[in-house]
Amino acid sequence: MRELMKNANGRVTASMLVMGLGQLCYRQWGKGLMYLAVQIGYIFYLVTVGARDLFGFFTLGSVESNPWYGIEGDNSVIMLIMGVLAWIVTILYIAVYLSNIKDVYATQKRVAAGGRPARFREELQELLDGKFYKTVLFVPVVGVCVFNILPVVFMILVAFTNYGGEIVPPALVDWVGLENFRKILALGEFAPTFFKILGWNFLWALLSTAINYFGGLSLALLLNKKCVRGKAFWRAFPILAYAIPGFITLLGFKFMFSYGGPINHYITEAGRQAIGFLDLDAKWSARIIGLLVNAWISIPSSMLLATGILSNADQSQYEAARLDGAGAFQQFRYLTLPFVVFSTTPVLISQFIGNFNNFGIFYFLRGGLYIDGYFLASDTDLLINWLYNLSIDNNYYAIGAAISLIIFIITSLISLAVYVASPAYRQEETYR
Amino acid sequence: MKKRKPIHWGSVADTAITYLLLLAVGFVFFFPCLWLILASFSSSGSIYSFQGFFPSGYSVDSFRKLFTDTAMYDYPRWFGNSLFIATMSCIFGTMLTILTAYCMSRFRFKSRKALMKTTLVLGMFPSFMGMTAVYLLMTQFNFINNHWGLILIYTAGAPLGYMVQKGFFDSIPNTIDEAARLDGATNFQVFCKIHLPLSMPMIVYTALTSFTWPWSDYILPKLLLKTKDTWTVAVGLMSLGETEFSRFAAGSIFIAVPIVILYLCLAKHLISGNVAGAVKE
Repeated sequence: MRELMKNANGRVTASMLVMGLGQLCYRQWGKGLMYLAVQIGYIFYLVTVGARDLFGFFTLGSVESNPWYGIEGDNSVIMLIMGVLAWIVTILYIAVYLSNIKDVYATQKRVAAGGRPARFREELQELLDGKFYKTVLFVPVVGVCVFNILPVVFMILVAFTNYGGEIVPPALVDWVGLENFRKILALGEFAPTFFKILGWNFLWALLSTAINYFGGLSLALLLNKKCVRGKAFWRAFPILAYAIPGFITLLGFKFMFSYGGPINHYITEAGRQAIGFLDLDAKWSARIIGLLVNAWISIPSSMLLATGILSNADQSQYEAARLDGAGAFQQFRYLTLPFVVFSTTPVLISQFIGNFNNFGIFYFLRGGLYIDGYFLASDTDLLINWLYNLSIDNNYYAIGAAISLIIFIITSLISLAVYVASPAYRQEETYR
Repeated sequence: MKKRKPIHWGSVADTAITYLLLLAVGFVFFFPCLWLILASFSSSGSIYSFQGFFPSGYSVDSFRKLFTDTAMYDYPRWFGNSLFIATMSCIFGTMLTILTAYCMSRFRFKSRKALMKTTLVLGMFPSFMGMTAVYLLMTQFNFINNHWGLILIYTAGAPLGYMVQKGFFDSIPNTIDEAARLDGATNFQVFCKIHLPLSMPMIVYTALTSFTWPWSDYILPKLLLKTKDTWTVAVGLMSLGETEFSRFAAGSIFIAVPIVILYLCLAKHLISGNVAGAVKE
């Protein structure tokens, strides 16, 4: 950059002032006009809405609406999200602006070295060759920015405002710093619920990950046995379970355990009272049903994974082990298990996080129940269910956003720790 | 002729136990499906008239009602909506995912590591943390009750799951590219003429997964589609209660069967696809 500032000629300076001007001086009409169009477009955006949005981000509105006097007022939330969008647009604009300067400087060097400025068509062809990745990645990057990064940034910011509860537009929202986190961790109605749910959430993630992982592994080993004929046939049953859309499975199981469902039918037939497996007071039966149903849904995919990994295992090691007189269990303990654990550590982390944030299970089995002692949650709800109850069903947006941030911190810390401590990270070459 | 082996009672017992276990596993996975299938053919709609797991009488009425009795529950319409959204998201999503994975695997550019880390961090956020924001954005862009809004969100999110496909492209040897480059092919041509044909199984796998995601998603459609005639199958089936149980079963069977058949045909690719995702860089 410093080198650029020192050596820049008049045309580069022209491009610094007006985008594309330097390119036009080099008679690169197509490119110059495109850069110019970007600048004009951005200025137009700033004048019409952009500048207002950029400032709205900080003030979050100052005019409270008053229907009595016919004042429309500011919508703080819209101002916040459009403000974030305006900042993203500005960052993208700055990136284009820098590329514009770099481009014209490259042309200057090229001309100084005795070459001629690149033609527009050559540049287009370069986009399909050397810069193919730029052409291709442009759409995904913009899409992810608008529909993934923007919402996440927005929610992170919301976590530091008082948006939600009583304070929704037309009331004005304001920045409150760490107030929401204090509420969740230390005081009032949120804190007890938060810690109860957090404890169950960890227990759930550990248990379900362990059940699914070892269930899938043992199923794969069972199917891999030499004496099993018709493997494809037997494998079809778990794949059947894997292929059925999750919401159908979950609603089906909900019906199965409902008061009118078949299981209660047999219980009443045997002369007992019908049991509310998923009812308000059914704490542990609902939790266990959740674990089992989750196993039914997830074991097939971890079986497929384990099958694939076992097919890569080195058979000569097993041969050697047999010759040395190792039994089936020893082979499993000292050969299969280390190999599978080694190969699946990254997947294990993502499964743990997937289970930690497993929204569907209890949403479908027991959604919408609020239990005494919990604030807008039930005793099977995970943090992510609570987050949904708070922010989508009950408008506690800021608290919901703060909880998502806490979930994010927990999951990223866990995955970082496991990843650093895992054999796959420490000794990458063991199985190569 | 081979000599007859002496019978080892230990291995016979082992085989017997193995098959018993397999039968049990098959039963556990198959029985709930069988139950739903039977329920869809029950002659009465409500779950309360069942004799335990089995309906008291059989007929194809629920399937007929599913498609003709559309006043309250317009299943054909929901089905059409789901099909449209899933197909469009599948086409665009697959294109973007494959291209992204290809670039990440084959090109070494300055912002590559940064992009990969960003996707990793984004994946750590709870899945619908940004839901409120997406909803607000969609109201700003006038995309509520509009299927294109959903397609836009699914398509934009699809490239984030590029890791499996990247693993696949990593396994195609670089020497093939270099040979083609020596013959004067541009990168675009290398991609179209060499990698596309080679990666057919991966494309099928990607298409399948990016079809089933919108096909069975319920949260986003529920949030963004407010009027009954824009609903998707998932949202619609969720609105059915215990008294409409056989209609629910029939509707579920009808949308699950095509996917199940697809998956069974692709069982092999599923295994290799899963493994490709598991192997880290």
